[in-house]
Amino acid sequence: MNPTENKTICSSEIDVSCRVPLLALFGGAALWLVLGLALGIAAMLSFHKPDMFADCPVLNYGHAQAAANDLLLYGFVIPAALGVILWIFARLSQSPLALPIVPVVAANLWHVGVLVGTISILLGYSTGHPWLEYPRGASVLLFAAFMLVAVSAVATMGFRLNRELYPSHWFLFAALLWFVWSYGTANLFLVCNHPPRGVVQAVIDWWLTNNFLFVWLALAGVGIAFYFLPKIAGKPLASSGYALFGFFTLVFFGAWVGIPSGAPVPAWLPTVSAFAALLSIIPVFALGIIARKTVWGANVTCFGGPFCFIRFGMLSFVAANLLYLGEFCPRASRVLDFTWFNVGVTQWQLLGFAGMILCGAIYEILPRVMNKELPFTKLAKLNFFLFAGGTLLFVIPLLIGGVEQGMKLRDAAVPFADASAVALKFLRISTTGQLLVLLGALCLLLNILVMTIQWKLGLVKCVIAAVTAPLKTSEVKS
Amino acid sequence: MSDETKPCCSSGNGEPTATRSTAPMWIIVVTLVLLFTGGLFLDSHSGWFDKNVYAPYQSSAQLESFQPKSGAQAVLARGKGIYESVCGICHGSDGLGKPGQAPPLAGSEWVMAKGVKRLLHIPLAGVAGVIQVGGKDWNMNMAAMGAALSDDDLAAVLTYVRSSWGNKAGVVTGDDVKSVRAEIGKSPQPMSGDQMMKMPE
Repeated sequence: MNPTENKTICSSEIDVSCRVPLLALFGGAALWLVLGLALGIAAMLSFHKPDMFADCPVLNYGHAQAAANDLLLYGFVIPAALGVILWIFARLSQSPLALPIVPVVAANLWHVGVLVGTISILLGYSTGHPWLEYPRGASVLLFAAFMLVAVSAVATMGFRLNRELYPSHWFLFAALLWFVWSYGTANLFLVCNHPPRGVVQAVIDWWLTNNFLFVWLALAGVGIAFYFLPKIAGKPLASSGYALFGFFTLVFFGAWVGIPSGAPVPAWLPTVSAFAALLSIIPVFALGIIARKTVWGANVTCFGGPFCFIRFGMLSFVAANLLYLGEFCPRASRVLDFTWFNVGVTQWQLLGFAGMILCGAIYEILPRVMNKELPFTKLAKLNFFLFAGGTLLFVIPLLIGGVEQGMKLRDAAVPFADASAVALKFLRISTTGQLLVLLGALCLLLNILVMTIQWKLGLVKCVIAAVTAPLKTSEVKS
Repeated sequence: MSDETKPCCSSGNGEPTATRSTAPMWIIVVTLVLLFTGGLFLDSHSGWFDKNVYAPYQSSAQLESFQPKSGAQAVLARGKGIYESVCGICHGSDGLGKPGQAPPLAGSEWVMAKGVKRLLHIPLAGVAGVIQVGGKDWNMNMAAMGAALSDDDLAAVLTYVRSSWGNKAGVVTGDDVKSVRAEIGKSPQPMSGDQMMKMPE
């Protein structure tokens, strides 16, 4: 396609070009989300009834929790974000998706990688590095699949008619590069034949965790929100200079965060992290303010629609990331290290921020791509309330319980078992929230699944109609 | 789904745009303030990227001060501390002295002398008039800076001076100091270099 050629292309044409890759990415993502949440609940059950999976090593806490976390990040968030990025790039370029077969192949490779990784973790073949548990084979598949999707996305971006870049371009393009860089580096160091010894392994893993949970999620989530918020609100983004400032401070300071204050490493490592965390407050606030300014005064009636999802996601972005950065303050870290607080913040980032924005984007994109309404619009709205309520009910007890547990751990008069036990009543509430989120995820899966089946039935009907159609008289040999 | 109603759309196509204005001044000021605050924190807690400094400690100097010392090392550390507060102001912490004010101690024949009687006479009684150091005449006065130090402290300082900056000479003991101090008596007379050379070593 020649970019200088001034040809107007219908939005619907662009949407149709994304149909198959997006269905492949979103369908798998929704399935992994449901499985990940279910495994997460299975892991939490160990705290309610410790002997529940005593005879079932596959589902014990260590296996189920690691598999659940990885399913949320690698199974749901990343493929869903990739699908949304492909569509946004095609729309912003005013050009159909470039190389549309490549992301279809990549989506399948990705899902096979997640399947292999999850089964390996459950059977006990995890690497043991948090957020990098997948064994080498699965990591290679994920890396290759990501590169393929990125090639298609970047090619689409290159074909854009309007050469000027929109702020979402910076964020999403950086997200594509950021994953390849951090995932590649961490795997080369940790999952290769000769990993470095000792505490350096933990340092690399902390670096990767921060790059994924803070920087990558922020780049992808905010990039997607900055596309949809002005589009739905019908107002321009306020403003590109402000967004540029937020973008550069995020990528510049965000990547240094990650080493906890109590880490057994030379003092400069956690000190630099605390310094970077202090300065990363700036982009978190700046990006939140831009979103606020953009939607301020917009006359959008949304009762559980995509706009609600994305607005909630941006609120979570500010709240969860401020708590996340707060953990690196040495004084807070002394109380919060090794408690449920960190788990709560991570789940808020994954589900409340990234998950919310991605769900909203999927509900906004799917009807356009399939060129028909969602099969269960009410379930889609219910999904919002289940997700919003469920995430808060899931996360906030963990945060409060974490602080209380940390206070007790600091008190030498309280035995360790008692300090751990204070979290139990909070975990009971938390698991209820997790169940609500799971129900919400089922709504998403049902919508995507039914839509895919309807589309496939339509294809079959088309084929049957073509086969059984009466021959035209001109084609009949006499 | 507003743009779906118009199947083939014109230029705008419903894609979002961004207004053009720069980041507000206040957030840039806040960034600079945080940068400064963070910089202070980094300076005080990072141990300046020293791989041997761990969390509760803040610098390698602080770690050094916690190291227990014994024997000759303890004497040298004690001497170094006193030297830097009493002698180093003029003679310099590198022992090279100051031109026109204080002769060098590094490589000085007075410091390296085999016997310590003349050397001890300098801090205990002071110097008045010309003194020859390293082949140069120094015409200046020095007060009896060491008279107020205890025997052991003065011994530690001189031991430090005699074994630092390339100097290699024997230890000065507290007893050495005691005997010279007794010889000088209660009214010390500052001497010139020539006068001191008349004393036995």
